[in-house]
Amino acid sequence: MAIATSYYLEELDERELPQRFLDAFAAILAHSNYTLVLDAASRMKAHCGRCAETCPVYQETAEKRDIPCERSELLLQVYRRYFTLGGSLKARVGAGFVLDEAYINRMAEEYYRCTACRRCKLECPLGIDHGLITHLARWVLAEVGLTPKALVVSVREQLEGKSGNTSGIPAPAMQDTCEFLEEDCADEHGLKIEFPIDVPNAEYIFFPAVSDYLLEPDTLMGNAAVLKATGGSWTIGTKNFDGINYGLFYSDRLLDRIVSNEVGELERLNAKKILVGECGHASRSAKAFVPTFCGGEDAPEVVNIMEYTHEQWKAGKVKFKPDVIKQKVTYHDPCNLARSGWVTEQPRELLKHICCDYVEMTPNRQDNYCCGGGGGTVSIDEIREFRTMIGGKAKADQIRATGAEIVVAPCANCKKQVAEVCQDHGLDVRICGLHDLLLEAIDAPDFMKVPKDDEDGDAPTAEEN
Amino acid sequence: MDNWIDLARGPLFRISLAICLLGLLYRFGFTSWQIMEAHRKAGDKRIPHQAVARATLQWLLPWKLMKIRPLLSVASILFHAGILAVPLFYVGHVSLWAGTLPGWWPRLGSGPSDVLTWMAIIGIVGVLFWRLLVKSSRDLTRAGDVGILLLLLALAASGYWAAHPASSPMAPRAMLLVHMMAGNLALILTPLTKIVHCILAPLTHLLGEVGWHFPAASGRDVAVALAKENEPV
Repeated sequence: MAIATSYYLEELDERELPQRFLDAFAAILAHSNYTLVLDAASRMKAHCGRCAETCPVYQETAEKRDIPCERSELLLQVYRRYFTLGGSLKARVGAGFVLDEAYINRMAEEYYRCTACRRCKLECPLGIDHGLITHLARWVLAEVGLTPKALVVSVREQLEGKSGNTSGIPAPAMQDTCEFLEEDCADEHGLKIEFPIDVPNAEYIFFPAVSDYLLEPDTLMGNAAVLKATGGSWTIGTKNFDGINYGLFYSDRLLDRIVSNEVGELERLNAKKILVGECGHASRSAKAFVPTFCGGEDAPEVVNIMEYTHEQWKAGKVKFKPDVIKQKVTYHDPCNLARSGWVTEQPRELLKHICCDYVEMTPNRQDNYCCGGGGGTVSIDEIREFRTMIGGKAKADQIRATGAEIVVAPCANCKKQVAEVCQDHGLDVRICGLHDLLLEAIDAPDFMKVPKDDEDGDAPTAEEN
Repeated sequence: MDNWIDLARGPLFRISLAICLLGLLYRFGFTSWQIMEAHRKAGDKRIPHQAVARATLQWLLPWKLMKIRPLLSVASILFHAGILAVPLFYVGHVSLWAGTLPGWWPRLGSGPSDVLTWMAIIGIVGVLFWRLLVKSSRDLTRAGDVGILLLLLALAASGYWAAHPASSPMAPRAMLLVHMMAGNLALILTPLTKIVHCILAPLTHLLGEVGWHFPAASGRDVAVALAKENEPV
């Protein structure tokens, strides 16, 4: 049979697909820690269905295949049959299941109906992490060529393309953008900001989601304004300035290469820490996997820009005017920042300070609902209807219930997805990052203020400073 | 009949108990070793122990269960409380071990044991109904899930009737035999089926966390194993 998925694939070699799948699975099990997880899950799964109650996709479709436990069973069945003694013995007496193209096709489809938000893990009494099983399944599928084309193309450009980033932005274009943002910030906000490029020995090397350079100028200006106000020592590297890491969504091999490149750029410029911009998966992939792949306890520290800003604000190094934002504001927790409880309170404290009318979505923080575009699905345009009308339905309902006029979504992927969710559900709200609002509220020190005469676009550039 | 009861209470019980204890010991030991091995190989060995302990305790104690599906959770709590306490602490069971168990071993009298047994029966029936009535649970339920519940139901009900022969629907000695055989089967199945979670539950959240701590060279090693180290993306 021909493999057919709801997302586009690159040209696929379908020869001996089951055997190649099993070879890849065997190689991964031999060199990773996944056996531990599969062994425990396949022995203990209670089939209680609590995970179904937590999954925004299942809540909308009510299809058996969308129950996290059922989805995990797809891979566990292959594991039990081909990688356990019991499965082998059963096969010898002629009973049991045989992996074929149709089954692989089913896995390829269903593991990309999961947004990898890991909300289900919170409600599993046995702690079975269906997100981790999805993560593994996608890696095995990737090794036989079954990965959405949108993700592969981006990673190829990042690792092997001329630009070295997922948006294909050449370094000179990035530098031009930074200069433009410096001028724009002076014109629009009366603030002098700088984007230090290739400065050696800085404390932080900055990796935003590279798409911010194209799509989120206010977020970047807000980041730079806070860093300027606090006297932060930071730089952007021209050899690697993209925090995006789609390896997290489908291949540990690529995850490793991408975080290693980030550390390589840090070492090239002799920076000390990695500062990641407003992006959930970029932050988590660096925070969790720089230590994994780049030195353990000796690996460079990873800080999210919201952590940095909050810490500096608490230390009195940057001030924000209270109650500057008059509209009703709510906050969307990106799963990759909030599920582990890593970044939940910092942005809330800042928002409550600068907003007159801040409201929470329910549920929130660790319990939040995914925007519907997690796990890389946001980049797959051909499944937009699934993403927004099914995966994003719970988020749309949450936003509607708050009555908010502004949704703060401090993540490049979440911003795109929430904007599309709101568009497809008829919600008229502004979607922005945290630093977009902080830029409006910053109580800038005098050295950042552009003299009135300079506000016509003659602000000094980074070089002139 | 008495010969059968002697067989069930004697050699069969000892064999079943040995399978149960050795099996659980093996499973716990093997899983602990797997966790240690995975941790040894991990590129990042830092484990958030407090968060893991909190997650584990949240589920070993019953209150988090009540957050969703409270009716099912109540049924589950009743079922677990009864099915754990009565076999271990009912005075009739403890008396079988006279001289083996320490003096401080708790003993439940007939009254509390009856209450716990009924809690288990009501809980099991509740869980069975839930599995039939709620679509997501029905979709997930396998024959083995129902089979284990029916076995435990038979064990609890036959135990009650064995202790109260006047209300037994069968000859009291036959009911006692049913109870013993159901108990022996449950012991054998404990390490071999999902009931093994009774011993592994304290480890599951830890192993889930360790599972995310990949070996530093895992990606590169897989690439070599699949001869893909020079293959483009």
